[in-house]
Amino acid sequence: MRGLPARQAALVGALAVGLTALAVHGLEHVLGRPAQALLLVVPVAATAALGGRRPAQVVAALATLTFSLLLPPTGRPIVRVADDLVALIVFSIVAFAVGGLVASRVDALARVEQQRAILLRLVSHDLRTPLAAVVGAASEARDADWLDDAGRRGLLDIVVEEGMRLDRLVANILSLARIEAGALQPRWQAVDLHEVVGQSTRRLEAVAARGGVALAAELKRELPVVQGDHVLLEQVVANLVENAIRHTPSGGTVTVRGEAATPEQVLVSVADSGPGVPPGEAATIFEPFRRGGGPPGLAGVGLAICKEVVEAHGGSIAVRDLAAGGAEFTVTLPVR
Amino acid sequence: MTLPQAEPSSRSRSPFADIPVLLVEDDEVLAQVVAGALRGRGYPVEIVGTGGEALARASATEPKVVVLDLGLPDIDGIDVCRRLRRWFEEPIVVLSADGDEDRKVTALDDGADDYVTKPFSMAELMARLRVAVRHRQAQLSPAADGVRLGDLHVDVTGHRAAVAGEPLRLTRKEFGLLSLLARGHGRVLTHRALLDAVWGSPDLAQTASLRVHITQLRNKLGRGPHRPRLVSEPGVGYRLVTPDPPEAPDRDR
Repeated sequence: MRGLPARQAALVGALAVGLTALAVHGLEHVLGRPAQALLLVVPVAATAALGGRRPAQVVAALATLTFSLLLPPTGRPIVRVADDLVALIVFSIVAFAVGGLVASRVDALARVEQQRAILLRLVSHDLRTPLAAVVGAASEARDADWLDDAGRRGLLDIVVEEGMRLDRLVANILSLARIEAGALQPRWQAVDLHEVVGQSTRRLEAVAARGGVALAAELKRELPVVQGDHVLLEQVVANLVENAIRHTPSGGTVTVRGEAATPEQVLVSVADSGPGVPPGEAATIFEPFRRGGGPPGLAGVGLAICKEVVEAHGGSIAVRDLAAGGAEFTVTLPVR
Repeated sequence: MTLPQAEPSSRSRSPFADIPVLLVEDDEVLAQVVAGALRGRGYPVEIVGTGGEALARASATEPKVVVLDLGLPDIDGIDVCRRLRRWFEEPIVVLSADGDEDRKVTALDDGADDYVTKPFSMAELMARLRVAVRHRQAQLSPAADGVRLGDLHVDVTGHRAAVAGEPLRLTRKEFGLLSLLARGHGRVLTHRALLDAVWGSPDLAQTASLRVHITQLRNKLGRGPHRPRLVSEPGVGYRLVTPDPPEAPDRDR
């Protein structure tokens, strides 16, 4: 059953198993232990089905089953209601605790495993494509003896640029892994946003040039210093700028702006002249492993990292379509 | 900035000028590198970035060979391959980023002629392309009775094979494998294709038996500077590699 959250389903399942176990327990004078165990298979199976055969539910049910089988035989008929009621309440509480605990733990493990599988696939696909360009361009520069100096230089430019792209991808993968592990810890220092924007745009100048995109930075001269992690904030701006370049057709413009919105807040925005955010995607655009329409890719991871990093700085990030066309991502950071 | 177009030398221009290539690759930089290398050797190239465009342009321009990336943003590359194969008869060489042998095998069994795994050298891609194109052309001409590869000679109709003039003593299955691999030399043949042709059923449970026969065949072929090598493509199939191809040696194997 997909509608029920894992924990809730596990608790309901554990209770079902517990109730049946208790009822069967009362039949001690009629049934032997093996027959009781057999009867208990029914609620375990039902619980498994309820949980859509997810491991969490099965484990929770099995844990409760084991627990109930460990109860000492009472040898009392089930009609002794008062005693049984007390036993039922105690039993249910324990079943809740055990089932829920096991379920949430197993669910967490399954989620980690799933994310790891996705990450592995992304790494294998998204890192190999720039690697293929590096190896391809380098092998051609070495082997194609009909190339002139300009031709060879063009290929070596590609080697350098794609090497830098790989570096950005690796940085994103590392950040993502830290975020997933809950270990994203900014190294606080006083950060000059002029430096952050300057460095990240300089690194992407070649990418913009190759795409025929003009890259402009319009920062107010007086920008307050923010407290933050220089490396992480640079990664945020670089991801936003790279995303903007990728979505801007040749001949378009990407503009980075920075200004103090209020004495407590500073804004950094990246605007492009591309097609804008497709309808319905604005809500999910900061989720990892999403790429508009197609299979998920590391490309979609960049924006997710931006959100996590900005929020770790106590700020926020938003996207909107511009009236003149294109999309604008705005990062708001607190001035501390 | 665009990649300067290299002037093809007279050596490499002529043979490929009438082999237009449709390059299907969504990564713009990789597409530029591959297209540059192809144009440098004299192939006319058209680049498209999606499976939908690939299907449309293939029918509009009728390229002589398609280079197809399996990881496309709109349609899965294997589906593109399958849909092309309903009518498209020219070779398809697949670029795979997966390292995922299953997808390569699926692409090959669904009509791709060969594959290269990212990252690859341009020489490797060019070698695969030449082999694929050559085999398509060979299919159009009447089947030859004999295949000569280095110092290996396979007499297909006479069921005889010899290396360096010495007759090889081969079992029926070994000869079947050798003649298939020799006729398709340079090209990968999947386990399924070999089993289907030689064992008479594409039952992959026989893969172990296939491996034993290949090992025996490899031992009987022996080694030598002019001897073709029977190369395993792990998880995919086998390939008979000719010694010293005239240009662009296959460095990695």
